[in-house]
Amino acid sequence: MSSESSLFSHRWLPALLLAPLMLLIVLFFYVPVFQAFYWSFFLEQPFGGGSEFVGLQNFQRVLSDPEFWGATGRTVVFMLTASSLAVVVPLMLAIAADRKIGMSYPARNILVWPKGIAGASIGVVFAFIFNPFVGLMAPLNSLFPGLWNPGIDGTDAFITLVSAHVWSGIPFNFVILLAGLRSIPPTMYQAAAMDGAGPWRRIFDVQLPLIMPQLFLTFVLEFTESITSVFALIDTITGGGPGGSTTLLVYKIYVDGFRGFDLSGASTQTAILMVFVLLLAACQFFFIGRRINYER
Amino acid sequence: MTAIDLSIRAAAAEIALIGVTKSYDAKNTIIPPIDVTLRPGEFTVVLGPSGCGKSTLLQMIAGLERVSSGKIVIGGREVQDLEPKHRGCAMVFQNYALYPHMTVAENMAYSLKVAGVSKAERAERVGTVAKMLGLADYLTRKPSQLSGGQRQRVAIGRAIIREPGVLLFDEPLSNLDAQLRHDMRVELAELHRRIGATSVFVTHDQVEAMTLADRILILNKGHIEQFDTPKAIYHHPASVFVAKFIGSPPMNILEVEGDGSVLRLADGQVVANYSAKGKFQLGIRPEDIAVNEGGSIKTEIRYREDLGSHEILETKIADQNLRIAMPFGVEIDTTQTLSLSFPQARLHLFDGETGRAIANAFGDAHSAPVKEYQ
Repeated sequence: MSSESSLFSHRWLPALLLAPLMLLIVLFFYVPVFQAFYWSFFLEQPFGGGSEFVGLQNFQRVLSDPEFWGATGRTVVFMLTASSLAVVVPLMLAIAADRKIGMSYPARNILVWPKGIAGASIGVVFAFIFNPFVGLMAPLNSLFPGLWNPGIDGTDAFITLVSAHVWSGIPFNFVILLAGLRSIPPTMYQAAAMDGAGPWRRIFDVQLPLIMPQLFLTFVLEFTESITSVFALIDTITGGGPGGSTTLLVYKIYVDGFRGFDLSGASTQTAILMVFVLLLAACQFFFIGRRINYER
Repeated sequence: MTAIDLSIRAAAAEIALIGVTKSYDAKNTIIPPIDVTLRPGEFTVVLGPSGCGKSTLLQMIAGLERVSSGKIVIGGREVQDLEPKHRGCAMVFQNYALYPHMTVAENMAYSLKVAGVSKAERAERVGTVAKMLGLADYLTRKPSQLSGGQRQRVAIGRAIIREPGVLLFDEPLSNLDAQLRHDMRVELAELHRRIGATSVFVTHDQVEAMTLADRILILNKGHIEQFDTPKAIYHHPASVFVAKFIGSPPMNILEVEGDGSVLRLADGQVVANYSAKGKFQLGIRPEDIAVNEGGSIKTEIRYREDLGSHEILETKIADQNLRIAMPFGVEIDTTQTLSLSFPQARLHLFDGETGRAIANAFGDAHSAPVKEYQ
C-alpha cells in the first residue's frame, strides 16, 4: 500500500481519475439494478401516472405463470448446452493451436477476429447461414424436404441459436485457454513423454489439470454471460419463435416490458434472473473454485 | 548408509551413437557426425560450455529430439525412430519438471500407471523408491510443498522407478545451492552404484564431471574433444580446449615458438627444451609451477588470492597471463621478483594451430600418449 500511495500523493487525483468510470457504472448498472428491485414490489402503470406498492404480489403472479417457467427452463437448457460448447469448442481449438502443427500460427490470429463483431451482426449472419432455402442446409433440405427449418421447427431454431452463441464465444475463451496452455513449461510434456504418455494421455493428465484455473474462469464467465448476451442473437435470428421455443428469460423480460408494457412483471423477472445469476456464480466458486489448484 | 534391499536394479544397456548428426537447417549444424559408445552400467558425464550441443545430444538419446541422420543403438536395438517410451530411458530434468497437480507418490508412479501396472504393485514400488531416497514421509505432499533438494529426489525417484536401462540427467543439480549440490552429488554416485543403469549426465560444471564420471565426454561445438576417465582428462588433456576447461584455476596456456632446440616466449625467455621448430602452445597447471627454486623465468606478482587451503598468484610473463597456485604455508614476499621454472615433466605441448596435444613431447612417463576415445 505504501508504495502505491507514494505513487499518487494527491488525495483527490485518484478519485478524479476514477470518477468517469464510477459514474458510468452507477448510472448504467447500479441504478437500473436498484430500480428493477424497487419496481418489482410496485405495480407500475403502463402509461405513467403513479405506482402502487403491492408487496410480493408481482412475484406471486410471475412465479405462477407457466410461460415464466417455460422460459426459465429454456434458459437453463441453453446455459448448459451453449456454455459448455462455448468452452469445449475453443478448448479443442486451443489445444490444436498450441501444438506446432501446420497453420497453428495464423490460426491463433484468425480465431480471435470474431471478437470484433457485434452480437446483432453475428445474429444476422447466422440467420442467413442457417436459412433453410439459401443457407448451408439448403442442399440437405432439397434431398430430405422439411429436414431443417428453424422458422417452423423449435429445435432447429434452438440449434441455430446455440451455434451462433458458441461461434461468438470462441475468441475470448480461445485466448484465455491458449494463454493457459502456452504457460505450461515444455519440459512438462517432455517428462510426460518420457513417462510413456502419448499425446492424448498428455491432454487429460497434464494439460487439462494444469489449465484448470483458466477453464474455471471461462466456465464461470460463460455460464453467467450466456444468459444475458444471447439477447442480441434471439432478437435478430428468431425473435423468440417459432411458437416461443427460443424465448429465453432475458428475451421474455424485454418482450413483457417493452412490448407488453408489463413493467412490474418485467422488473420482477429481472430481479429473479439477477438473483439466479448471482447464486449460480456463488455456487461455482463455492463448490468448484475452492478445489482448483493454482500452483504451478 | 544402512543396507537396503536392492529391489530397484536395472539391466544396464549399452548406448552406441553411430554417425549421429543434428542440424536445424543447412547452415546451423548443432552436432556434426558423432560416433561414441557408452559401456553398459557406465556413468558418462557430457561436459561442455553452454551451446556446445550437450543437451541436444541427450535429448536425441531420449527421443525428445529427432536425429538428422545416423543411428542410435540402445541395448542392441536401433531406437532413433522410436518414441521416447519405447527406448527404455528415463530422464531427470534441470527444473525437475514434476507434475504440480500430483502428489509425490503420484508423480513417481505416473509412468507405471501409464504402463498399466496394477495399483498394488505401483504402491509397492513407490514405497521402495521412496525409502531409498528418504521420501517416505512426503508421499502425500504436492511438489510445491517440497524443498529444492526434495523435489530433485522426487524427480530421480520418478526416473528410477521403472528400473530403466538408461538414466539421463540434464543438468539436474544446477538449480540447487552449493551445499545441497555437493550432498546430491554424493547421493547420485551412491545411487548409481546401487542401480547400475547406464547413466548419461549433462553438465557444464567440471566438479560434477570429475567427481561423478567413470568417463567424461567433453563436447565443443558438437564434436568430441576428448572422451576418457577424469584422471586421464586432467593429466593428459587432448587439446587446449580441454586443458582450459578442466581444473580450477585452469591450466595456463602460453604461446611459444620453437627454434629447433628450445621453446621461447615472445620476449625471448627460454621456458623448455624442445627439438622442433614452429609455433606451439605450452600448457602448465598452476600447481605445477616451481617458485623460487632457482628458475630462470622472472616475473612480478600482480594480484594474490588467499583461498585458505592454497593461494593463487596472478602474474604475467611475456604479456601473457600466468596463474600460480601456492600450497598453504609457503611464504612469498609479494614485493619481490619471483623466479619461476616449469618442470619439464609437468609440461603439456599443443600444436600452435590445431590446439591438439602433441603426445610424448617431452619424452617422459607423465606425458604418456593420449588415448583416443572409442
